[in-house]
Amino acid sequence: MNIHVDWQALLIVAVVSIVGTLIFMALLSAGIRYVSLAGVRANQRQSSVVARVAGFSFLGLAGLFVLFGIYLIIPFFH
Amino acid sequence: MGQIDNPQSSPIVQLSLDALASARKRVFTGTRSQLGTSSQIGIAVTLSVVIAVILVALIFDFTNGFHDSANSMAGPVATGALKPKTAVIIAAVLNMVGACLSTEVAKTISGGLFDDNLISASVILAGLVGAIIWNLLTWLVGLPSSSSHALFGGLIGAVIVGAGLSSINGSVVVSKILLPALIAPLVAGVAALLATKIAYRVTRRTPSAQSEGGFKYGQAFTASLVALAHGTSDGQKTMGVITLVLVAAGLQETGTGPQWWVILAAGLAIGLGTYSGGWRIMRTLGKGVVEIETPQGAASGAATGATILASAHLGFGLSTTHVATGAIVGSGVGRKGALIRWAMARRMVFAWLLTLPGAALVGGAAALLADRGTAGVVVLLVLLAAVCVLIWGISRRNKVNHLNVNDSHEVLVLNAAQPASFVDGQELQHDAEHDVSNAKGAA
Repeated sequence: MNIHVDWQALLIVAVVSIVGTLIFMALLSAGIRYVSLAGVRANQRQSSVVARVAGFSFLGLAGLFVLFGIYLIIPFFH
Repeated sequence: MGQIDNPQSSPIVQLSLDALASARKRVFTGTRSQLGTSSQIGIAVTLSVVIAVILVALIFDFTNGFHDSANSMAGPVATGALKPKTAVIIAAVLNMVGACLSTEVAKTISGGLFDDNLISASVILAGLVGAIIWNLLTWLVGLPSSSSHALFGGLIGAVIVGAGLSSINGSVVVSKILLPALIAPLVAGVAALLATKIAYRVTRRTPSAQSEGGFKYGQAFTASLVALAHGTSDGQKTMGVITLVLVAAGLQETGTGPQWWVILAAGLAIGLGTYSGGWRIMRTLGKGVVEIETPQGAASGAATGATILASAHLGFGLSTTHVATGAIVGSGVGRKGALIRWAMARRMVFAWLLTLPGAALVGGAAALLADRGTAGVVVLLVLLAAVCVLIWGISRRNKVNHLNVNDSHEVLVLNAAQPASFVDGQELQHDAEHDVSNAKGAA
């Protein structure tokens, strides 16, 4: 049997999958952490603006990641 | 030979509309030679085969839906990020939307596994029957297995019956089916493992109630993305099969896309299948392998989504089922102290390995009937209906539905197999709660 496997394509898929997952999870986790921190600070009557802005920025970026995924799925855009 | 090429340009299940002129001839001459010379009989037989294929393809689409709804929704259902009914409604709608979004059907069905000239209407019919029965059997025992592998297995069995073992390209089986089945869970598993570690590390100072809530949203979003991606790939498969047969029978112009009613019917079938839930598989995937918390669920959902999208767009098509399962196991390895049932993981791997030969056996047997003209096709359809009803009947003895999907980690088939301790445990728990409330009332 002459088995030909496109190892390069496989490697690219593996790397992109793993890196993509990690970036999304890092953004989501950071967003959750800072939004939650903002809540804690607000309760303690401390300034919570920076944490809140940072948190929602991270969440927004994570959301953009999902939108990019949807963009990839829909053939209309290609 | 056997190159794994870009699924965008040639998805694994494809239909070659260019090759359809000859396929069209084959369908007619094939049935005529079996049933005599009258052309009227020939056309009538072809029509019955066409109707049978459309019917069976839609049934396959339905089983595909309920077999795979766990891939996207097992995590959110298990962690409570989405209520079971809400989860399947979202998955069903997104699967339908996905199925209608993408309609590039001009492809070949064999993906190089065998010569396209061997594909006839009866081979497709037998292959679909093999895939349906395999999907139902694995659903009964609650094991996730790839619907595409089942379809390939059924087709391979049918082709072997018609043209012999030598007609199968073994190297393509290895490089397109076996190897991806090993690689998909590994890649998704590693991604989910690292993502889980990141999630717990980044939020280690966050009150767990708040991070739980946040990750619930993340989990719901990624699960929805997976459901949509599933619709675009698997919804298309059935549309492709139906369109191939319509063109082959001369009911549709060569080179045209699927008819609107084909798109609608295929979308509805996969959506209804997804809505019906496949709760048995959802229980195994959500509760049976790993005890997951919401950060793990979000991590495995993200890994599933990212791996499916990357593989679909960068040229190495991977099965949604294998990816989703690998991701869930990976998220279990990634959290210290998470319970992983390796015995269940091993059973899943066995089920994957058996999918191809198992579906091939059924497909081969079905091909023996499907080759025998109208009478054979009718007998085949009756048998298929009988098997479906039988398996459904057996499943009723230990029902798993949206109410009890999270109650246990086991999917039992026979009543006799149900351990008494489980039933007792449930009752004991109830009694204990009852006692506590009584005590409170007394206090």
